Amino acid sequence: MKTGGCECGSVTYRSEGPWRDIISCHCEECRRTSGHFWAASAVPAEALQITSERTLKWFRASDVASRAFCTDCGSSLFYRHDDKSYIAVGAGTLDLPTGLKLVEEVFCHEKGDYYALSDGVAHHDQWSAAWKAQDEAGQ
Amino acid sequence: MSTQTGRCCCGGVTFAFDGPPSQATACHCTQCRRGSGHYWAAVHVPLASFQLTLSDTLKWRNSSEWAKRGFCAECGSSLFYQMTGEDSINIGAGTLDSPTNTQIKRHIFVADKGDYYELTDDLPKIEAY
Repeated sequence: MKTGGCECGSVTYRSEGPWRDIISCHCEECRRTSGHFWAASAVPAEALQITSERTLKWFRASDVASRAFCTDCGSSLFYRHDDKSYIAVGAGTLDLPTGLKLVEEVFCHEKGDYYALSDGVAHHDQWSAAWKAQDEAGQ
Repeated sequence: MSTQTGRCCCGGVTFAFDGPPSQATACHCTQCRRGSGHYWAAVHVPLASFQLTLSDTLKWRNSSEWAKRGFCAECGSSLFYQMTGEDSINIGAGTLDSPTNTQIKRHIFVADKGDYYELTDDLPKIEAY
């Protein structure tokens, strides 16, 4: 069981998982939303229990995906692609210890120009191998 | 003097300031981690050179006794952090249009960093502030 929530505590969630390891995304949408770049785990949508959602708002971020944040504090909580059965969960919103690790960085060709990527993890210009594996597993 | 611009994800909040910006700071405190969804990075800009060019959807929240955070109420973008009584504003570096003309020069509050990533660069890593 992992739990988490937004900065002000108005939105909380929990899930038994399975929790995917963490992927950071450097696309422009993730960079503007987070204020730096975003990193997320993911769980099957039906496995995510949002235990407090009064201030949770979903925003249509593109033609293919929606993002959710807290209307009281602005925390960047969730991302859901229309064609995926899982929800990405902002890794920074997970309570510690997460027991997870960063394994990949994606959309690196859109990264900001003011920082370096992490050493020791795979870098991809677009989608990741872990996402494809998750799709094929039907998660 | 050059002008640096930026905006939130949906474009409901836009801003500009006289550049170039300061060096950027990455903050790993729990507030920044939950707010951003990972960790936050920001440039520090004097209010005198800062202008909100569109603020229809900007919402401020007192995040502590000494500071407030600004985000877009439409798309949730984590835009600003401002200390009470200071004549400057911290702007999320990810909201800056490219080229940003800045570089991250230090990490702060690394004692509170998340457990799922490593800081692999050679920049100064400060336990608190």
